[in-house]
Amino acid sequence: MKRFLCVLIALCLIAGAAFAAPKTKVKIALIVESTVDDKGWCQSMHDAITAVQKKYGTALVEYSYSEKMKPVDAGSAARQYVAKGFDIIICHGAQYKNLVLEMADDFPKTTFAFGTSGEIGPKNVFTYMPESEETGYINGIIAGLVTRTNKIGLVGPVDGGDAARYNRGFILGVKAVNPNAVVQVAYTGSFGDFVKAAELAHTQIKAGADVLTGSAQQALGALRAVAEYKDKPIWWLGQDTEQLKVPESYKVIAAASYAYAAVVEQLIDKRQSGVLGGEVIPLNFANGGFIYKFNDNVGPVLTADIRKQAEKALADITASKLTIAWQSVK
Amino acid sequence: MNILTFVVNVLSIGIPFSVALLLASTGEMFNQRAGVFNLGCEGIMSMGAFLAFMPAHLLQNTSLAPYANLIGIAAAIAIGALFGLLFALVTVTFRAPQGIAGIGLHMFGWGVAGTLFRYFVGGVTGVPGLKNLPIPLLSRIPIIGPLLFNLNGLAYAAFILVPASWYILFKTPWGLKVRAVGTYPRAADTMGVNVSRTRYQALVAGGMLAGLAGAYLSLGQAKMFADDIVAGRGFIAVALVYFGRWNPYLILGGSLLFSVAQSFQLAIQVLGIRFPYEFAVMLPYVLVIVVLALTPGSVTRGPAELGKPFDREKRV
Repeated sequence: MKRFLCVLIALCLIAGAAFAAPKTKVKIALIVESTVDDKGWCQSMHDAITAVQKKYGTALVEYSYSEKMKPVDAGSAARQYVAKGFDIIICHGAQYKNLVLEMADDFPKTTFAFGTSGEIGPKNVFTYMPESEETGYINGIIAGLVTRTNKIGLVGPVDGGDAARYNRGFILGVKAVNPNAVVQVAYTGSFGDFVKAAELAHTQIKAGADVLTGSAQQALGALRAVAEYKDKPIWWLGQDTEQLKVPESYKVIAAASYAYAAVVEQLIDKRQSGVLGGEVIPLNFANGGFIYKFNDNVGPVLTADIRKQAEKALADITASKLTIAWQSVK
Repeated sequence: MNILTFVVNVLSIGIPFSVALLLASTGEMFNQRAGVFNLGCEGIMSMGAFLAFMPAHLLQNTSLAPYANLIGIAAAIAIGALFGLLFALVTVTFRAPQGIAGIGLHMFGWGVAGTLFRYFVGGVTGVPGLKNLPIPLLSRIPIIGPLLFNLNGLAYAAFILVPASWYILFKTPWGLKVRAVGTYPRAADTMGVNVSRTRYQALVAGGMLAGLAGAYLSLGQAKMFADDIVAGRGFIAVALVYFGRWNPYLILGGSLLFSVAQSFQLAIQVLGIRFPYEFAVMLPYVLVIVVLALTPGSVTRGPAELGKPFDREKRV
């Protein structure tokens, strides 16, 4: 525990020291397909930008956002931001890739960013990629230790991007502590279909799963379904710490979150030092890109031993002593 | 897991999940039988889902909590009726193109529901929702009991609605008028049937059922509300009307087929059978398309004047 805290404090200090305040005013725009209060994907980026804005003040960081932007509509919003002199336009989703590449050509002095993507973009395009196998691995360790049926349900949106990395990391985490456990992987095919996610969660539970996890907005539907088994030992591991604040949180053992502030700060930092793009910015525990929280109110299911093993994995990942070969999982 | 358990699990999830589709497509059937197709079904469902959710959310810790679901369901029906009326005004009185008007209604309903939700609620949150009401004795019948007689009140109502709709459509004077104005409105007009009024009535009835379908999604199924809670089910409901050849029983069959196929594809994914999940996700949609394509007369048996506005003064 002490070692973990030391690493955490050191990282906080490094993170604090690594990014200086912007030298001149920077204008950041965010374009999202959902809403900035969706308790998931879009909110995490919005929260990060507002946190950075709060840190440096509105005099140095100006921020505006557009919600519910389908890729076909987002172009018009992005062009308006360019016309208004915004320096950095973040299109938060891989679905905006084509739009961003097109816009980047037209406006070479503006910095664009989109993610998740591991591709290196043009000179004025940054991409960002959460290495979410790390959060998945820790959740997997807890799931593998908590399960009594040795069946664990994974409610996936699609097998792509950071969701695919999370799922594979999760499977590796489970196998690391409980090789006999079976991870039942299934996908809804949608990031936002809450109803289908609930249906899949019920299917998983009927097939014997007693610990479930899932990512993207749709996961709330699955968590809601888990909460229907109020008096049964069926648990949830979250990929968003907002899930620790919802009424169904009594089923959530722990949850991770993306802390995009590290990405936003790097975008500002790099732009102000003359780098407009052409790089991939990763999110991981080591660079402060993830937050991990245990639910202290979940009860005896989260034993001291389980917590200790999860914390050890977290410390090892943060200190780069443990790398997760997520690509090895087919 | 043996085959029987697998089948029971698939059905126990698929049957309740067919209810929203059944309600919405039955409503759409009334619209189309009267000669008007309403692509705004999705928007009405969104509004219905939101208004059904709100009382449950706001009243859950008050003395009115036991009535919250009923109030919500009534509100969903009322907003469905209002949207049906609005759609009738646009398409029947003003004779606007039905497809465009429907898409407009969809976007309006979806946008208003989402905006109001954010203004009054803020973020995604759950509600207790509807509880299952096991029917004494019947719910104890092995296999069938838990599948068919341990549902919530709206689900029972939806299944009872099937024979009721059939009776209304084929055995009552109003049903005859609805079919007449959708098939040959000029003849109906000549016989003294008020075509516009009948179409208004059918659209209001259809809207009420779409609103109810939305209520089922937020109170009976997901027990929460989110912007995209309907997630295309309104459009699937429209397709199921064609699939069901404008007949309530066939629409029931289509709704069950789609939902059970959905449940089946999720269940086989969970079993870990290795094949691309994209194909599994597609299965229910492909199944509906295949059955629709292979069913003779699936389009020709539709209401002859479907989609055509009626102009009494127009010279023939």
